[in-house]
Amino acid sequence: MAATWKLEFPYRRSVGPVIGAFLTALRDRRVVGVRAPDGRVLVPPFEYDPETGEALTEIVDVASDGVVERAAWVTEPLRTHPLDRPFAWALVKLDGADTSLLHAFDCGSPERAQSGARVRIRWAPETEGHIKDIACFEPAEG
Amino acid sequence: MADPVQFMSHFTTVEYRVPDPSPLNVYFAEQLAKGRIVGHKCPQCGKVYMPPRGYCPLCVVETTAKDEVEVADRGTVTTFSVITPLQYQGQEETDDYVQATILLDGSDTTIMVAHLDGVAIADVHSGLRVKAVWAPESERSGATGSLARQMGLGSAVTSWEATGEPDTPRDHLAEHIV
Repeated sequence: MAATWKLEFPYRRSVGPVIGAFLTALRDRRVVGVRAPDGRVLVPPFEYDPETGEALTEIVDVASDGVVERAAWVTEPLRTHPLDRPFAWALVKLDGADTSLLHAFDCGSPERAQSGARVRIRWAPETEGHIKDIACFEPAEG
Repeated sequence: MADPVQFMSHFTTVEYRVPDPSPLNVYFAEQLAKGRIVGHKCPQCGKVYMPPRGYCPLCVVETTAKDEVEVADRGTVTTFSVITPLQYQGQEETDDYVQATILLDGSDTTIMVAHLDGVAIADVHSGLRVKAVWAPESERSGATGSLARQMGLGSAVTSWEATGEPDTPRDHLAEHIV
């Protein structure tokens, strides 16, 4: 027997113009990145170029599907994980992006959590402008 | 078109599992309700642990009811802090107050976070002799579990006041600061 104590700190963060644009697009079930001076499209977007520190402002649309770059299988999901069954954490490079986005990949078995797997976004039933608007990634044909 | 997203909410959550109070914690609380502060005296080294732990961590021996001793409801301030409360939401204190660590006579462990409401802040010092101000018997619910270890006497003692006795010499406190 044990009592449970829960300590919660509610935060409300100002997201700024670039992350704000990313979250606003998610609310509309779209994904955007930002273009760096070297032409690369960074998804999720940065406010500043990681290479030069230059401010970045050019918001670019990318696709809602892409390819798994790396994946790590989660055998026992934690209470705070986005899925309540075993899943993979995956770095997904969306079509049109040059960097990858970390999110859950609901693929059923570790054998399917392979580099190179085609995936697409499964959107949350309700979107609100939060990374959780992406419920997870799921396998995509082709 | 809805307004652009400017804010993001998220929770940082820490979840603890707090064990039920041990039978010894419950017994200590019951005795407090009767106005008794009890400890266990280690049969090997003679140190008195209040609240009783059921063992001596230094000698690694068990202590039981036969090792029970009663500790006085008066003692000495070993160390203290003056708290100046900031008025954040939920803060109930408005004026400066003192939280002290008190070494009770007959104990080798201290009570922490004792409110010294009965003593003027300027008069509080290490070595000051104080005695417990007990709550009415019906209002003495002793703290149990981890709270008993940290806070000592729960609601059984509401405050502490100066006894007027001469200060306890510092060398007597040396091994009993916290």
